[in-house]
Amino acid sequence: MTTLLEMRGITKAYRGVPAIRDIDFTLKAGEVHALLGENGAGKSTLTKIMAGAVQPTRGTMLLNGRVTSFPTPASALQSGIAMVFQETSLVPSMTVAQNIYLGEERLLNRLRGIYISAQQFLQSLNFPVDPSATVASLGAAKKQMVEIARAVRRNARVIVFDEPTATLTPEEKQHFMTLVKRLKRQGTAVLFITHALEEALEIADRITILRDGEHVATGSVAEFDRDKIIRAMVGRTLSGELYHRRDGSQVRPRGRRILSVQDLTMGAMVRNNSFSVYEGQITGIFGLVGSGRSETARIVAGVIKRDFFHGGEVRLDGRPVLYKVPAPAVRDGIVYVTEDRKVEGIFESMSIADSIFAGALAKGLNTGGIVVRMSEAAELAKAWSDRLNIRTINANGPAVELSGGNQQKVVIAKSLVQKPRLIIFDEPTRGVDVGAIGEIHQLINGIADEGLPVVVISSYLPEIMNLSDRILVSRQGRIVEEFTPGEATEENIMYAAVH
Amino acid sequence: MIGAVRQAIDRFRGTGSAALTLPPMDGALRPNQALEEATVVLAAPGADNLARDGERIFFSSANRLMELDLTRPEQPTLLAEFGANIACLTVDGAGTIAVGLDDGTVCLRAPDGRETLATAVGPAFSCPTALLFGEGALYVCHGSSKYPPSVWKRDLMERNAGGSLWRLDPGGGAPQCLAVGLAFPQGLVLGPAGELVFAESWRHRLVSVPAAGGAVSALLDHLPAYPARLAQAGDGYWLAAFAPRNRLIEFVLSERSFCARMIENIEPEYWIAPDLSPDRSFLQPLQGGAIKRLGILKPWAPSLSYGLLVRLNAAFEPVASYHSRADGRRHGVTSCVDIDGRVLVACKGAGEIVSVVSDAPREGSPP
Repeated sequence: MTTLLEMRGITKAYRGVPAIRDIDFTLKAGEVHALLGENGAGKSTLTKIMAGAVQPTRGTMLLNGRVTSFPTPASALQSGIAMVFQETSLVPSMTVAQNIYLGEERLLNRLRGIYISAQQFLQSLNFPVDPSATVASLGAAKKQMVEIARAVRRNARVIVFDEPTATLTPEEKQHFMTLVKRLKRQGTAVLFITHALEEALEIADRITILRDGEHVATGSVAEFDRDKIIRAMVGRTLSGELYHRRDGSQVRPRGRRILSVQDLTMGAMVRNNSFSVYEGQITGIFGLVGSGRSETARIVAGVIKRDFFHGGEVRLDGRPVLYKVPAPAVRDGIVYVTEDRKVEGIFESMSIADSIFAGALAKGLNTGGIVVRMSEAAELAKAWSDRLNIRTINANGPAVELSGGNQQKVVIAKSLVQKPRLIIFDEPTRGVDVGAIGEIHQLINGIADEGLPVVVISSYLPEIMNLSDRILVSRQGRIVEEFTPGEATEENIMYAAVH
Repeated sequence: MIGAVRQAIDRFRGTGSAALTLPPMDGALRPNQALEEATVVLAAPGADNLARDGERIFFSSANRLMELDLTRPEQPTLLAEFGANIACLTVDGAGTIAVGLDDGTVCLRAPDGRETLATAVGPAFSCPTALLFGEGALYVCHGSSKYPPSVWKRDLMERNAGGSLWRLDPGGGAPQCLAVGLAFPQGLVLGPAGELVFAESWRHRLVSVPAAGGAVSALLDHLPAYPARLAQAGDGYWLAAFAPRNRLIEFVLSERSFCARMIENIEPEYWIAPDLSPDRSFLQPLQGGAIKRLGILKPWAPSLSYGLLVRLNAAFEPVASYHSRADGRRHGVTSCVDIDGRVLVACKGAGEIVSVVSDAPREGSPP
């Protein structure tokens, strides 16, 4: 295989603090290359430099042996380098078809023609997305599909995927893997960043590992196994700690029933959904994307409303509650840690202290009444940063500059500061590196050990099986099965989720 | 006025008091097949009212009072035959048996077989549903002021709440009414502090009343089934639940005119109402929610009958449960008795007494 793209001594510094240092990297035509590392290791920065979204401070880049630089993403795209970003870069108010053809519009466009050709193209990729739907109405998985479709359509020679499968269901992941293999056969170089190590080991030809902005290892996939990758990523062995199966003896005893969801209904997404949550236990809810898990949690937390007629009941401590907005739910002690932390979890432009203190303000825990004491906010943020081990270069910098894992910790701190009665984690470790996953799991376990009822919603089976004292399986808008850790296997959970 | 408006809005939207919702059967009530897999001790049509007096075990079968010898369970001894079906019975621990009959009679049977009428000293009962000896008195649950115990289905569908709790003095003292306005009370036991605990079936809850009378307070409410009798078991209790709640029944119960027409025009066995046995007659409407796949009734189908036995702790919180689901046949669990780690369960719907091991708390197994 010939080298298509080469990067030599690439360094990128923000305000003098290097995000990546002297990285050497090569990408060959027709290979699938996995780029691994903890959050904050510099993977996104490296790929953004490749795609022209960020300019390197130092170093050179060669495309087909010729020195090149991409001042803008458009110039990278013209040279055949396309990137599917972790944060979707679609236009929410436009339709799927318009987004796929964005930038290629003619003076007069026939919408019908665009829809037909987009439909055919999406079908060829096995992506079940309606081309006439607006992007804002799509879920995370379908947005990701549109991003992928857009990149594939441009016949790029290099396609960079930033966590492409994080939001996909197992079936959709299989489609994605098939697509990557097809691109590889066509001679396209595929670089993908992922936290799912199994995917890297399954599909990649070569693996490159970064740690703390530096290159640690590159080699063919045969040279790596799961433990070796984790050791290279974090400098210690974590595999056994992270996703071990619990047996029946490790289950926490069930306390009082705190939450009882009864025949909850919301359109076609949540249909007569019923389940309970008990004190002192972690109730894990597994289900494929679209199974109504998140929607149920959001109704409980007052983020969205249930059906106006016969929408069912939510009972908190035996008392029926009906939240039309989140504020009364927060006052009652229900905390929902969102799956979409960038949009709903943090204020990207605000500092960590302000983000965490926003949680206290929402619960009315500000001691100064309508006056906000900045010293109080700073103290609170300091205490929670220490407790949750939030690592940051600049404590007063905006939250957007934090790595995914640390952003998630800020979201969790913002929730815990409210002294909740019930805490619901929706995909708590999505887009979070393995080091931070361990810390977040420890934190969730600690909350349950203190006697609080915890709900963990996750599409990642090992996570559900590792954390949960009870495992509920959601399908087509309702809980269809319940397993104890002792009897749960990946096979029977998945069977319940799809049949 | 505001309350009436609120109720009208609730009825319009299906919220609040008019919400047709059911508590989930999960946690301690997670479905399993434990009752379905239990060992059969005896097949006896209409087996009910299990009670234990030391080593002796009694039960009723229609109008017959029987004694069960666990060394020869297939040959129960007939102790007495009454003029009406037995609705409830209890023992005092010294050989006396109190029996409540479907015709309203409550009589005491002494160890020597002599029978006396307990209701001769009290008010005229029409519906004795539970009896309990305690502190020299006989406590009686009077299930309904309108119908005898065997017409329970009609009492439920009419949403009556004319039950009461009485304290009778067999020595001839004046009877005392301890509580009124109860929705089909049954299953009397003594609580940890000497209070009287019983099930209010139509309100799907367990309640307690001080032995001297007083306010009724809920111990466990919002049950997903109609509770029947309670039985003492070491440091806790057993609760037999004789039928499931389902949304169709709740809906019919909320539609008063439809319900009245159904009661008036249709035979009770074909009502949309809880039932004791899984009668699979095609005439019975929507048994199992009419959910069949490849001709097989699914265990999770909403059914009119169900088998459920619940283990409660000393605080009357469920800790484990034993089920016979929609596709099973051991439905209509009406009473049980704990025998040192073994529980005899009367499945009235199936006409069987079965035995389950109680030292293996079950939170369910995969269906």
